[in-house]
Amino acid sequence: MSTPTQEPPTPKSGTALTTLRELPQNVWNSIFRNPLPSTDLERSSTSFTNFFLHIHPVKVNKNTLRPAYTMGLGLMATFLFVILVVTGVLLMFYYVPSTTQAYDRMLDLRGTVAFGIFLRNMHRWSAHAMVAIVFLHMCRVFFTGAYKRPREFNWVLGVLLLLVTLFLSFTGYLLPWDQLAFWAITVGTSIAGYAPLIGKQMQFVLLGDTTVGQEALLRFYVLHVAVLPAVLVLLVAIHFWRIRKDGGLSRPEKAPAPAPDSGVVKLKKVYGLQGFVRGPFTKLGNVPDDSVYSWPNLLMAELFVFVLTVSLILVVSLLFNAPLEQPVNVMHPPNPAKAPWYFLGLQEMVSYSAFWGGIGIPGLMVALLFLVPYIDRTTHGVGRWFAKERLLANTIFLTLVILNVIFIVIGTFFRGPNWTLVSPF
Amino acid sequence: MTVAPQSHDKQLATEHSQMPRRRMLTWLSSFGLFASALLAVVSDWLFFKPRVTYGPNARFAIGKPDDFPPGTRIARDVERVCIVREGNKIAAISTTCTHLGCIVAIADTGFACPCHGSHYDQDGNVTGGPAPKPLPWFQVTLAPNGDVVIDKNASVDPGTYLTV
Repeated sequence: MSTPTQEPPTPKSGTALTTLRELPQNVWNSIFRNPLPSTDLERSSTSFTNFFLHIHPVKVNKNTLRPAYTMGLGLMATFLFVILVVTGVLLMFYYVPSTTQAYDRMLDLRGTVAFGIFLRNMHRWSAHAMVAIVFLHMCRVFFTGAYKRPREFNWVLGVLLLLVTLFLSFTGYLLPWDQLAFWAITVGTSIAGYAPLIGKQMQFVLLGDTTVGQEALLRFYVLHVAVLPAVLVLLVAIHFWRIRKDGGLSRPEKAPAPAPDSGVVKLKKVYGLQGFVRGPFTKLGNVPDDSVYSWPNLLMAELFVFVLTVSLILVVSLLFNAPLEQPVNVMHPPNPAKAPWYFLGLQEMVSYSAFWGGIGIPGLMVALLFLVPYIDRTTHGVGRWFAKERLLANTIFLTLVILNVIFIVIGTFFRGPNWTLVSPF
Repeated sequence: MTVAPQSHDKQLATEHSQMPRRRMLTWLSSFGLFASALLAVVSDWLFFKPRVTYGPNARFAIGKPDDFPPGTRIARDVERVCIVREGNKIAAISTTCTHLGCIVAIADTGFACPCHGSHYDQDGNVTGGPAPKPLPWFQVTLAPNGDVVIDKNASVDPGTYLTV
């Protein structure tokens, strides 16, 4: 199996027996055009000939594989999304988006459906983890200056992906139809209502009614299981495609090339197939030499991150159950009523000023995020964590990140009934 | 050699005469595409904005005026409205907090929101907390059969009472 010949086996005087004997090998060869690679040529053609592998480049820069550089955060977010799709589709088989049935279905997941509680735990914890990991991934990209030319637009796509992730998590929050869900969405959509001019209209269209009810549940459900995942998949596809087209992951600037030996004609031009592909990375005669083959180096790294992610989620899902509170009681808001944790920083700011906390400052922040690569046009300090040349940019970004975290921590742990300051200790 | 430039000029001339027409067609078709995209956005918006909502009716009867003796202040949480009767005057004040949509409770000094600590006085004016606006008052009318009818779609100025 591991060492089939490259040439198609010459058809022998075919008896039925030989055909039968060669059947497994022939089927295998028809699926996998390439043997398990043992030479460099076969390693490159593995990436070319396999549908699932051809998203990878043939070779990757060594820096890309340094765990301390990327921390595998982008991959982790992707794998979390895969877990979310799988568990989400399974949960859909038992869930009904109806105000009279949704909560009962949650209880059924807990009581009667085999692995129901476990699947719900996995889905819930992966969703929280994905929001956190996508945010950390953004921080990684910022602190390593990876958004700079020519990767500006991929940063913009990344910010879009963060927003879609938040919205996906937010729409999923309502579906259990318990007190936590209902009041978190009531508070969350009210924040949207503070947007100037179209705020109230937007809130009405989002909820399909003036208050959170059956229409809102149905709308959030459709957004959560169909619209937003489709948008996310499309954006992720472009995000990945652009990594390749923008020249792979960012890495430190190369040391200046040594002066060409005068008078000596070097016949070292390499005309690979990649030489004809446009892009800053694969120019003719500019084949990188500090790179290694994707098979098996990149694949092993990816497999490691995958196993790590899945095991973490499995362990957490075995240890902790996803919260489920009392069924919705529209007349008795819990005190305090809190939005999902990633919006608690927003809610904390809203408690100071409805417009500025809910719309003004967050809108400004998102606009700034989108514009980061177009404001910071310097090209130094790419590919290293906290490069000295980027002290100012990194300080500003770190300050905003810490402020956001502080607001979230205050909103989560230090706010009690009537949103008064309490001590969690 | 002498012929070539001439024919080249000729070709250029015809290209020039064709350009405005081509450009105009490009403009027109681009405009058409853009306008249809815009139209699609508008119609999507209209589609998503429901014409009928299935929630509780915004206009509802609460009973006869005699059910609310003078001095009554009753919060009806289902309809999210507080019925106020002073003497022979009846009014209805919203109990939906103008901050983030929680239900405010009746307090000694007026209304208090359990969610983020907004306070309102007896007439719904903000006296504390993050609430940005006073609680709205709803239109109260008498139906022909003598029922008191509240219309939550119609706001009235604070201090507007129905005399019964």
